[in-house]
Amino acid sequence: MNQPFIRVSGLKKYYQMGGTTVRALDGVDLEIEPHSFTVVMGPSGSGKSTLLYLLGGLDRPTAGEIWVDGQSLNDVDENSLALFRRRTIGFVFQSFNLIPSMTARENVAFPMQFAGANPRKRDEQADFLLKQVGLGDRASHRPTELSGGQQQRVAIARALVNDPKLILADEPTGNLDTASGAAIMQLLSDLHRSGRTVLVVTHDARMTRFATRQIYLLDGRVVSEAEYQSAVLEVASPA
Amino acid sequence: MRFLDLLRLIFGNLSRRKARVALTAIGVVIGTAAVVILVSLAIGLQRNANEQLYGIGDLTQIQVMPSFGEGPVMVGPGGGGDGGGGGSSQTRLLTNQALEELRAIPGVEWVSPREFLMAGGMVRYRKLEGWVTIIGVDVKDLASLGMEAAQGDTALGRSIIVIGPMVANNFYDPRLRPGQEPPPPPDLYDQQIQFIVSKWDAQGNETRKNLSLRVTGVLKETRSESDWTIYMPLEQVKALNEWAQNRRINYNKEGYSQVIVKVRDVNQVLDIADQITEMGFQAYTPQSFVQGINNFYIILQVIFGGVGAIALLVAAIGIANTMAMSILERTREIGLMKAVGATNRNVLAIFLGEASGIGFLGGLGGVLIGWLAGQVINVMAVVYLSNQAGQQGGIPPSVAVYTPVWLPVFALIFSTLVGMFSGLYPALRAATMIPVMALKYE
Repeated sequence: MNQPFIRVSGLKKYYQMGGTTVRALDGVDLEIEPHSFTVVMGPSGSGKSTLLYLLGGLDRPTAGEIWVDGQSLNDVDENSLALFRRRTIGFVFQSFNLIPSMTARENVAFPMQFAGANPRKRDEQADFLLKQVGLGDRASHRPTELSGGQQQRVAIARALVNDPKLILADEPTGNLDTASGAAIMQLLSDLHRSGRTVLVVTHDARMTRFATRQIYLLDGRVVSEAEYQSAVLEVASPA
Repeated sequence: MRFLDLLRLIFGNLSRRKARVALTAIGVVIGTAAVVILVSLAIGLQRNANEQLYGIGDLTQIQVMPSFGEGPVMVGPGGGGDGGGGGSSQTRLLTNQALEELRAIPGVEWVSPREFLMAGGMVRYRKLEGWVTIIGVDVKDLASLGMEAAQGDTALGRSIIVIGPMVANNFYDPRLRPGQEPPPPPDLYDQQIQFIVSKWDAQGNETRKNLSLRVTGVLKETRSESDWTIYMPLEQVKALNEWAQNRRINYNKEGYSQVIVKVRDVNQVLDIADQITEMGFQAYTPQSFVQGINNFYIILQVIFGGVGAIALLVAAIGIANTMAMSILERTREIGLMKAVGATNRNVLAIFLGEASGIGFLGGLGGVLIGWLAGQVINVMAVVYLSNQAGQQGGIPPSVAVYTPVWLPVFALIFSTLVGMFSGLYPALRAATMIPVMALKYE
């Protein structure tokens, strides 16, 4: 059996909000295989985005342990976490987070600046990835000149630019129309097929078509599909 | 992150917010321009004062006189330096041996003895008469003492003299009646003048000696001792002194009345003057006076610079405010930078660089405006002061506002540092943001 690529044990994340403690994650244990396509499903407030940010080293847990690619994220300093994000993770966000003043090429190449890559190599890599996501002819366009779907494809190209092993996508289709969303799903599926580990947080049930594994979160806990479905049905028909 | 990439990113970010950067930089422009203009003005005033002071005399020359202890010394015939009322242990005479000691001081270019005429001397030119100071110098040409001729040359010879430009003003008509217009000062250049030296015996009988002297040069005005002096060869003055005192003077025992010590480097003058004083002589240099004046102008520069720096301080608050606003607006961008692998140090460098960039751009504008304004003030002030000098006499100033090369460089570095320090707190806030909080910031 493969060593898990991600291992999470007793993961908790509590926030203080207006004097009350919000238990965003309340004891999550899970293992994710390498080269898998995992979809984390859950309603709003279930803790799925919190899980994604913790796995990506963008936040620190209240309790519990996280290993990604054999590296513990618990006892590392900020600098090491930044290097971990640079080398291991590619993020895709719901709101794209592209820098408006930069062209598509510059946005894609942006993370490589922090890795110290030379400008020629950066541009070559950005152009290559933009072609891969079908935007070879849009390299010199700024985000405002691109549609939502195109912007998300630029963001995916940016996530790939440092050749990460893990792609973490937070509601990647959340701001897109149906057709654009489907295209993004297909793109993420292609990344999985090319050998990367992909973890997508979504409440878009269509994404499960591409998934090799589904994880359901409710109130900060991992639940079975049956529990999740019954909870969702309960919400849909409260009477 | 490569330094060039950092620079490109910083200036790219600044150019995204041109209007805001320009408005913030205007404060720095005003502050830097104020520093440049005010300090240039203080330096200009100092140079002007020094130009006037340099006219007083050569600042690299030290006048050395013998020291006679605590009381005056009367050197009698055949007497040595230990005669008289001064404490013998503190008496130092300018003997030939002493001259060698002075020459041995490191940094001394040359040492030249001078002798005053110790007898009554009157000059006569046609029907005019005058009383003058006669100094004998141990050089063949006064040029080697740093003197320049306004007319003729500065070479000396037996009965060939060079006079100061004011010597002619000492001539008067002894037969002038009250109410009569005094004659204008004669032009003595290339003229023969009569010099009458007098001595008196114990019974009060006067003996006169007539010398005919040729004026072969008139010195340039320096507003110092040389303006009113007739220069003769040292040996001739020595001979006249021996004639007047009816005895042979042994300079190895009695020493010269004065020695000029020329120093190679103007910065060493005070040190060497101190050494000479420690050797037991009296040393006088206008340099100590000049140093006092310079200290005053340095304080003036600091005060003027401080006034400009206050304007820069106000600008610094503006930069801090702009950066704080910029960081608030770009919180998500900071989150993204961290998500894609920027370290805290990278973020700090970017925002500190942007703040420094505002300081640098403002400083560049300020230096340019300050320098240009200085040039305009300079032209206007020099014209005005020259007119004043023309009407009231005196040396017209060559410069009123002077900007040395180091000042714009200093102002530019200073304004950049002001920018950097202003951006320190906002940049630290940006660098230490928790990535997830920054990404979720609305």
